[in-house]
Amino acid sequence: MSSLRVIAALFVLYAFVSSVFVLGTMALDVEDVALSAIEGAELAVDLAFEAVLEAEGAGANVSGLLDELNDGAEALSKAYISNRVGNFDDAVYFADLCGDLVGSVEAEANELRDVAVVDRNHRLLLSTLGSVLALVCIFYGGFFGWRFFKSRYHRRVLQMKPEVASNES
Amino acid sequence: MNLEECKSVFAVTVLGLTLVAAFPTVSMVLPFPSGGERFSELWLLGPDHMAEGYPFNVRGGEVQGPIYVGVSNHMGSSEYYVVYVKFRNQTQPLPNATASEPSPLLPLYEFQFFLADGETWETPLFFTVEDVLFQDDTVSTSRISINDVVSSVNASTKWDSGYSGFYYQLFFELWLYSRDLQTFQFHDRFVGIWLNMTVF
Repeated sequence: MSSLRVIAALFVLYAFVSSVFVLGTMALDVEDVALSAIEGAELAVDLAFEAVLEAEGAGANVSGLLDELNDGAEALSKAYISNRVGNFDDAVYFADLCGDLVGSVEAEANELRDVAVVDRNHRLLLSTLGSVLALVCIFYGGFFGWRFFKSRYHRRVLQMKPEVASNES
Repeated sequence: MNLEECKSVFAVTVLGLTLVAAFPTVSMVLPFPSGGERFSELWLLGPDHMAEGYPFNVRGGEVQGPIYVGVSNHMGSSEYYVVYVKFRNQTQPLPNATASEPSPLLPLYEFQFFLADGETWETPLFFTVEDVLFQDDTVSTSRISINDVVSSVNASTKWDSGYSGFYYQLFFELWLYSRDLQTFQFHDRFVGIWLNMTVF
């Protein structure tokens, strides 16, 4: 009888300890999942921002992309805050939401950058052609203009009549 | 004007026109440094969008605000910012802007956002100091709610006989994303308001 009691007591103790252990492990798992989701969202935002900066450097208008990034950043803030106050389910939700919101930004930024680079090269080509044309005009215009001016100057000098100045002193 | 002087005027004119004609192309190829200092602004405004009327005498459980936190970007390109909201008593450390050291206290709330060059960002903030306990010459609080997010704090403050009050400070640190380090760094700017805990 007493051995049965001991076994029953041990069983209850085991059940209690294992439940505490399992619950603790589950809590750790949930926290790890939240941290992992936040790290994934962070990386997505960082990569998207890098792409947006490249597009901006190439001369693209990135205001629309910044709006999309801001939606993602707001969700990421909420994920951090939820994680900090121990609300791991919300942290995972907002981190995933952030990932969804900024997921397409990198590709859009790359597209905008490519368009901006092509547009810039086109403008550079036009500008170069315009400058070369203008330089040719200036040099030819200058050369022939100078020759015309010089011949006119000489003609005017040769047509001048000498004047005799009286010495009244 | 003799011929030599005319020649000089002509040469200078042609040179000037050459520079004007070449400038658009040269400016597209060579990067010209943009002048001016690069910096960010951080500010805090009261409920009427003025630098006055900030919450000061605060009772436990009473919603305070709105106060407005704002940031302006003059860094020459789009930037990624975070504003951390922190809470301290008079003995806990503030950031050291001259040494570029943020306060070691944990943030209670944060705002992350992107700003294009020359643009500003502003947001309202409401807060409530909860579970305020007055004991002799000490006040303690264990919770603070910011924009409906409740965070645990463990801060107590003693009676300040010099300024006749129990003082806490709610302050805001500006951090900037560093592309080289791929993480946020304290941007040497912070603002804050003093809060005097009162019973009535």
